[in-house]
Amino acid sequence: MTTAHDSVHLALAAIVGESHVVSEPTACAAIAVGGRVPQYIVDPPTAESVAAVLKFAADRDLAVIPRGNGTKLPLGSPPRRYDLALSLKELNHVWHYEPADLTTSVEAGMKLGDFQDFLGGEGLWLPLDPLGGARASIGGILATNSAGPLRLRFGSPRDMVLGIKVATTEGKLVKSGGRVVKNVAGYDLCKLLVGSYGTLGVIVEASFKLFPRLARRATLVLEPGTLGLARDLRRRILNSPLGPLCMVLFNTEASSLLQNGPPAGDAQGLELWIEVGGSPRILERHARDLAEMGRSMGVPSRQLNEQMAESCWLRLRDYEQLFADSFPDVMVLKATLPIASSEEFVSFAQQVAEGEEVKMASFAQVGVGIVHLGLWGVKLGAAADRLVTNARKSAASLGGALVVEQYPNGFNAERDVWGPSGNHLEAMRRLKAAWDPKGVLSPGRFVGGI
Amino acid sequence: MTVRRNVDILSLLGQQGVGGRANRYSPPLRSCNQRRPAVWYFMKPTALVRELVSILGRDAVLWRPEDLMLYEYDGLSSLRPPDVVVFPRSTEHVVQVVKFAASRKLWVVPRGAGTGLSGGSLPWQGGILIVFSRMKDILEIDIENQRARVQPGVVNLDLSLAVSDDGYYFAPDPSSQKACTLGGNVAENAGGPHTLLYGVTTNHVLGLEVVLPTGEVIHTGGKFWDPPGYDLTGLFVGSEGTLGIVTEITVRLMRKAETVATLLAVYDRVVDATRTVAAITARGITPAALEMIDGFTLRAIEEATHAGYPMDSAAVLLIEVEGLREAVEENALQIESVCQEKMARQVRRAKSAEERDLLWKGRKNAFGALGRISPSYYVQDGVIPRTRLPEMLEFIGQVGTKYRVKIGNIFHAGDGNLHPIILFDPRDADESRRVREAAQEILAKCIEMGGSITGEHGVGIEKINLMPLLFTADDLDMMRKIKGVFNPEGLFNPGKVFPAGKMCGELRIEAGAGGVL
Repeated sequence: MTTAHDSVHLALAAIVGESHVVSEPTACAAIAVGGRVPQYIVDPPTAESVAAVLKFAADRDLAVIPRGNGTKLPLGSPPRRYDLALSLKELNHVWHYEPADLTTSVEAGMKLGDFQDFLGGEGLWLPLDPLGGARASIGGILATNSAGPLRLRFGSPRDMVLGIKVATTEGKLVKSGGRVVKNVAGYDLCKLLVGSYGTLGVIVEASFKLFPRLARRATLVLEPGTLGLARDLRRRILNSPLGPLCMVLFNTEASSLLQNGPPAGDAQGLELWIEVGGSPRILERHARDLAEMGRSMGVPSRQLNEQMAESCWLRLRDYEQLFADSFPDVMVLKATLPIASSEEFVSFAQQVAEGEEVKMASFAQVGVGIVHLGLWGVKLGAAADRLVTNARKSAASLGGALVVEQYPNGFNAERDVWGPSGNHLEAMRRLKAAWDPKGVLSPGRFVGGI
Repeated sequence: MTVRRNVDILSLLGQQGVGGRANRYSPPLRSCNQRRPAVWYFMKPTALVRELVSILGRDAVLWRPEDLMLYEYDGLSSLRPPDVVVFPRSTEHVVQVVKFAASRKLWVVPRGAGTGLSGGSLPWQGGILIVFSRMKDILEIDIENQRARVQPGVVNLDLSLAVSDDGYYFAPDPSSQKACTLGGNVAENAGGPHTLLYGVTTNHVLGLEVVLPTGEVIHTGGKFWDPPGYDLTGLFVGSEGTLGIVTEITVRLMRKAETVATLLAVYDRVVDATRTVAAITARGITPAALEMIDGFTLRAIEEATHAGYPMDSAAVLLIEVEGLREAVEENALQIESVCQEKMARQVRRAKSAEERDLLWKGRKNAFGALGRISPSYYVQDGVIPRTRLPEMLEFIGQVGTKYRVKIGNIFHAGDGNLHPIILFDPRDADESRRVREAAQEILAKCIEMGGSITGEHGVGIEKINLMPLLFTADDLDMMRKIKGVFNPEGLFNPGKVFPAGKMCGELRIEAGAGGVL
């Protein structure tokens, strides 16, 4: 190739090697974030070169957005500016693996699916089902603290990370935590960086605690009919000694999306899916107790066949894709609530959606207090703003919060993705300024315009 | 920026005699023997004390030397008393004290029950000590949401007792749980035996109210997961009072398990016990707790508590599995077979709640039992990968021989969290030196094995000089930037967590003074 490159391209090539820099416009256009197109794509081959690129970007005031496999980039506000896409795909090694100790250290660019395959050889896994499923990268999962329904049993990435290595805008690699399962030496930077959406530093490596794979898994479906019954059922299950892996309440639209056809059951079609795992005796106990709970409340139940269950959970874990396939202009909202408020929020949201004459699919992790709403047919402008404002009001009145995870083109995302922040916003801004004084990391993507 | 000198708080208070000689790292016995000038008893409160009294009331400020003496130590050691102790009753009180301190550039140190083992609550440079014993209300119990909101002075066990009838409890259970406060647990990110399965304090705290050194109050998190923004709650937990003072805590409550099985595995050789731990981990069984006690320690415990540990054994494992009946039965059988495979002499299952309680009583009162047989002891908190336990225990034995000190081992084996307890007599200077060296050697080995210098006790002042062994200058620098955001002048809990550095507000510890005792 004989294209003339500008000085930035040449300087980046000097840091990471010519084969790791792209400034070709169509390639750059393909990885736009929030409508903004970067000028350069760099995929540094080592953690050290990630740090060097960051320092270069800070020195030259180039805005950087780190990316793994791109599954989380629709989340967050559109960037204020975007010059350099920092791809971590070359960082895909497992550096340390001690199966007998249930610990591992892995680079940020590795895809979750590949990582699980690797761990599976020893019968272990990382019990996470983040947005993007197997395609999600470790770094992206951590940057967004992304967890799916399995969180009910296993918690979120925040709870599984033992240590991280981060590249800073000063060009340094710093670490926090370690490879042991208990560690309180120094500030817990893992907590600060996990869920920071690439605005403080770039996670290049992380250590995790691992879990043994479950012997068997099964999915039971209860059809409570009304939200009131669904709530009573959830109360009974959470107050019982049972320990399901996941519990998700689907409305009619959601379950037909998921199952690719009209759902079985009565008119309202609410379905509570419960996945359980363990030995045959443990599965049997769960099936018996759950069916009995249903019977005593007049709620029919059935066990899903294994294949069907697996394919549905997989589709759910990749819900953005699921929506994108059917409704390209979908808007996805995520409400985080006190556990007891999930059903009430769904009921509010239903009213809000009906008021705006839009279709709504709801996936409510009722044991955790996280509800995802997919809305389609949303009219942009005042109607969309009203929809978000009202849904957010409902979440706030129940003691929770609401963020917009995905929005159609034309939505006023700068203003509305994260919603209002509490009285700690100033502290967050100062943290951002301390770690990224030039403001080159994912500028404008996070809460309060951080 | 200039390095802050020790504000002459003593002369401000007109108490030149009070702890005037910083008795740093001197033996704990000294305060009883030291003669104090008689003039103390005729002292009048200074203007400074009067101002604090006007904020908090007469009954909420201690300033007489004989009262301050009670606050010169925590679980680590006795250094020097604070200059004044205050007992706020509300967040507003804390704010006023903090604003007052900020206006005078006085140091502020928070204290719960003073059970910490790393010196986190020691006012070792003097200043104002804020004691939370009057902020001990459980503000809200919300069973359906599995949450509770508490003040920082609530005792750990009291929270579990308060929700016990509803079938819930608070999972982190430090051995001091009958005394230690939740505020202290948050500051140090406390652990305990049952954190093996359920995680440490940080995994159970969702929201905080924090007073910053400016007197500003911020609220982080709440009753729900994933609040938008940086995880400040996670950052504050374990920051040892160096970023802000916590005045309210929202915690997660856990549902009690359906059933519990408590096993005692008895060994004739230490190495068989440590191999059992590695084998249980490798099989993917995660007990709720997996504790090891060596022969020396269990004999001391048995004499004090009569917990039922066999006096002639080399080591015991105390193993607990809990959950659904079916799961407990399966796990208990698997564990029994692993123990037998690894040459356990006997594996016994507690037959009643009383027997279980007794086994745990022995474990939780262990430090007290050792206090019966030695004038003093030094507890360490290193962590190693669990697979390295057999090697490590052998190493600790060698270190004991090399330095001619007696070392007992009682620890959270399932986490790889060691607690070597080195016995000594602080009046013996040479022995104290050997203890220090032995301790350093054990922690250096932990780091070499890829572990940490502290699993749950915190850095405090005890381990600050070890931080550079674990972290690079760059690592520490990025942490200091965070401290600079919240506590730029170093007024909150000065001289903790970080070794002396270039940042303003940092305090330099006298050469050779840090580390042990």
